[in-house]
Amino acid sequence: MGKLVIINGSPRAVKSNSKRYGEIFKGYWGDSAEEFNVISGRYREICMCVEKHRELLFIFPLYADGIPAVLLGFLKELEKSSYKHKPTVHAIINCGFLEPEQNNVAADMIGLFCEKNGYPLGMILCIGGGEAILDTPFAFMAKRKIKKMAAAIRKGQSYRLKTSMMLTKNMFIKASSKYWTEMGMKNGISREDMDTMEIEGKTNKE
Amino acid sequence: MKLLLSDRELPAELVKRGDYKYISLVQKKIHNCTGCFGCWVRTPGKCVIRDDATEIYPLIAQSEKLIYVSRIYLGSYDIPMKIMLERAIPVQKAFIRIHGGETHHVQRDVKEKEAVIIGYGNLSEKEKNLFENLVERNAKNMSFKRWRISFVEENEVDEAVIKELDLWEN
Ligand SMILES: Cc1cc2nc3c(=O)[nH]c(=O)nc-3n(C[C@H](O)[C@H](O)[C@H](O)COP(=O)(O)O)c2cc1C
Repeated sequence: MGKLVIINGSPRAVKSNSKRYGEIFKGYWGDSAEEFNVISGRYREICMCVEKHRELLFIFPLYADGIPAVLLGFLKELEKSSYKHKPTVHAIINCGFLEPEQNNVAADMIGLFCEKNGYPLGMILCIGGGEAILDTPFAFMAKRKIKKMAAAIRKGQSYRLKTSMMLTKNMFIKASSKYWTEMGMKNGISREDMDTMEIEGKTNKE
Repeated sequence: MKLLLSDRELPAELVKRGDYKYISLVQKKIHNCTGCFGCWVRTPGKCVIRDDATEIYPLIAQSEKLIYVSRIYLGSYDIPMKIMLERAIPVQKAFIRIHGGETHHVQRDVKEKEAVIIGYGNLSEKEKNLFENLVERNAKNMSFKRWRISFVEENEVDEAVIKELDLWEN
């Protein structure tokens, strides 16, 4: 039986922050791990692999306050599999906003999945400011918690961890404005363009 | 504007009667969000995926009253409605503000709304609670000034929709 399978639930897959969190996790895990992206659509193969491992780690972003639709699709598939062996489920959830607690609802959904389907629930790590943290001086905070999580999984523990950037909300707003403005600039889009009130080229008044 | 958005077809006689827009997601082709943020940093206010979602998120933005009809899965909107809500992020700006004591995105031209969510399926109390927590969080990102959730069994959906439409009319 293998030890760990990592399932990336981000629609961005190989380009995702989730992928980067997974790389950091593997560094601290120090053992082999099978990896899949749910957007590959290789559901059968992934489900079969899940049964052969002791630990299952979902890594995904918060989407509209919940689990991304692409990952819900995979969870439905996994629910249909009637395997005898069920690995312990863990999750690293990252969200764009500063407060890691905004991930709690998605974490509870993973808990509900486990409860409904007889999977033991292990460790959950909620990361706030997850879009940017790894490229800031606060990357060490995410890494530290991921390290703690890996150690806790090895010990068979089960609790929730959280981390974020050590910034006040106002400082976060300033830093994120700079981050997004620079992203726009790279595409030749000004801050004013990004600030448009129009949706599909219209405002409500038109 | 009033909007009735449903993940299942509702009976024709029911949906033709009032001054509201009815959209069923059943016939719509809506791809998953790819997380590219093009709607913020490439073509602000427009999704780069030019499918049916581009007709729907402007209506969500314009609505002052809305009803979402969705199956519930794991305390979440089930996949069709969840995909649509994820594809609605062009109505927000990349920029962040403090709202309700937390960081949230600044909205574009989005009306504040009264939302009713008819969530259906065979649901445990735990699942209902979780969905309530989800909608409470959504309220901050989706400009709900008031919201109410009505949980029903699948065979009670039409009746629940009629009840809500009656409330709109009276
Ligand atoms: C469609 C969509 C919905 C999102 N919804 C939320 C949200 O509700 N709350 C939040 O804090 N961040 C939200 N985000 C931001 C992502 O969670 C964040 O950018 C994350 O770092 C993406 O991780 P990934 O690269 O692993 O996909 C959303 C992003 C997208 C594209």
